[in-house]
Amino acid sequence: MCENQSQHGPQEHCSTYIDSQQPRVFLSCWVNGEIISAQIDPMITLLNFLRQGLKLLGTKEGCGEGECGACTIIMNGEAVNACLILAVEAQDAEITTVEGLSTGGQLSILQSEFVSQDALQCGFCTPGMLMSARALLDRTLDPTDPEIKEAIAGNLCRCTGYSPIIAAISSTAKKEREERK
Amino acid sequence: MFSQFKYVKAQTIDEVLTYLGDRDRCVKILAGGTDLMVLMQRNLETPDCLIDIKGIEEMKRLDFVQGVGLFVGASVTVNQVTESKIILEKYQALGQAAKTLASYQLRNRATLVGNVCNASPGADLAGPLLIFEANVHIASLDGRRVLPLAQFFTGPKKTVLAANELVTGISLPDLSSGDQSLYLKQARVKGHDLGIVGVAMRLTLDQKFLVALSAVAPTPIRLLELEEFLNAHPRTPELATKAGEMVQKLIHPISDVRASAEYRLLIAGVLVKRAVTLLTTREAN
Ligand SMILES: Cc1cc2nc3c(=O)[nH]c(=O)nc-3n(C[C@H](O)[C@H](O)[C@H](O)COP(=O)(O)OP(=O)(O)OC[C@H]3O[C@@H](n4cnc5c(N)ncnc54)[C@H](O)[C@@H]3O)c2cc1C
Ligand code: FES
Ligand code: FES
Repeated sequence: MCENQSQHGPQEHCSTYIDSQQPRVFLSCWVNGEIISAQIDPMITLLNFLRQGLKLLGTKEGCGEGECGACTIIMNGEAVNACLILAVEAQDAEITTVEGLSTGGQLSILQSEFVSQDALQCGFCTPGMLMSARALLDRTLDPTDPEIKEAIAGNLCRCTGYSPIIAAISSTAKKEREERK
Repeated sequence: MFSQFKYVKAQTIDEVLTYLGDRDRCVKILAGGTDLMVLMQRNLETPDCLIDIKGIEEMKRLDFVQGVGLFVGASVTVNQVTESKIILEKYQALGQAAKTLASYQLRNRATLVGNVCNASPGADLAGPLLIFEANVHIASLDGRRVLPLAQFFTGPKKTVLAANELVTGISLPDLSSGDQSLYLKQARVKGHDLGIVGVAMRLTLDQKFLVALSAVAPTPIRLLELEEFLNAHPRTPELATKAGEMVQKLIHPISDVRASAEYRLLIAGVLVKRAVTLLTTREAN
């Protein structure tokens, strides 16, 4: 029966955040190139699994409702909002979080460009912004400004005014193009 | 209350239908989850069984058959719609509306069918689907049925779907080349919001107008009276102005968090006028 609308008060913690006391289910997926196997609460979000289960704290939680983009990760090649995905949906998925961008402690070109172009201030939006940018650059290394803006339209930044972010993505594309030559 | 939560990744439609037929459980279909997860986060939906339909091959169908039309399966995402050449060429209003829906990463998950099943009065894809006279393909253990989209919505967030029914996809009839359409949306923030008003308008090759609006009534609506008016009058420059005035008499929008009723009326007039102008001048060129 589907009549159980809103049994809980609005201020109560919601089921996708706290331990729902449900029997655990098995999840196996790839995260930043490593295979992960875990027994998880079937009701937690992928964002919570990454942050609390795997202690990958780079991915941020802003709104928890798809609005801000701070939780953006790449799943099976596509940028997605980890706050709107259940961890169980990631079965067999290939996931990249911001932690997966650098190699051997060395920042990627994209990250270095963000730093050198002042594309971050407080840094809260940055992991999500980087992942949206990475997904775009994986699709094309020759993005136009409107394409860049479209790719990051779902990532809110209240510090930078966006221009340095667009510039950093643009110059990364140029550098990565040159590197490929 | 502590009934066991179950997540099922279904492999076949029959499997989904069997779960949906279980009257003792609160079963919900999980497509992209961009509406459902938000409601679950707020505890406004507390299903005890979620059936994920993204693994079902048949639901991934997005195909076009000349002379028959387009079929969009229930797990086809909004970004797939924005990237479909045939949609951008033939069903322009649908492609344009899809590009205005939420953000890029959200569109990677959000589905066209989910947008329709969620039945928000402001659903961006509903207006375009209405002017292309889309049909909804519905299945349950009792059998299958096909229903015009115009008969699908019954109220805000309400549809004719029974608890045991699944939408397998949405089909759009083929149309002649030369068929023109567009989608105009007024929203608070680009890329982040349902529209304050959405106007989908189509001018067929044989010069028939079809018009649908979203966010101005309890459901997305076709405006048959306005269509008749447009079809009955010559294409003078005043036609657009008159259509803009007329739409304001036909709709009765409400005030909500996004806009006041007055503003919606004003904007609906402006957008309808603009749509008629664009379609008729595009044609003249
Ligand atoms: C930040 C944000 C911005 C948004 N912006 C917009 C916007 O600009 N315009 C707009 O129109 N919408 C917007 N939305 C709403 C939402 O993204 C869309 O409605 C989306 O298309 C829903 O698709 P989904 O696959 O995610 O649906 P889901 O959340 O998976 O499902 C929605 C509902 O439909 C039911 N359902 C899904 N598939 C089926 C099926 N095959 N058969 C039967 N029932 C089914 C589900 O059980 C659920 O009740 C926004 C949402 C968010 C979070
Ligand atoms: S935390 Fe996911 S979009 Fe804001
Ligand atoms: S750097 Fe502070 S929100 Fe973007």
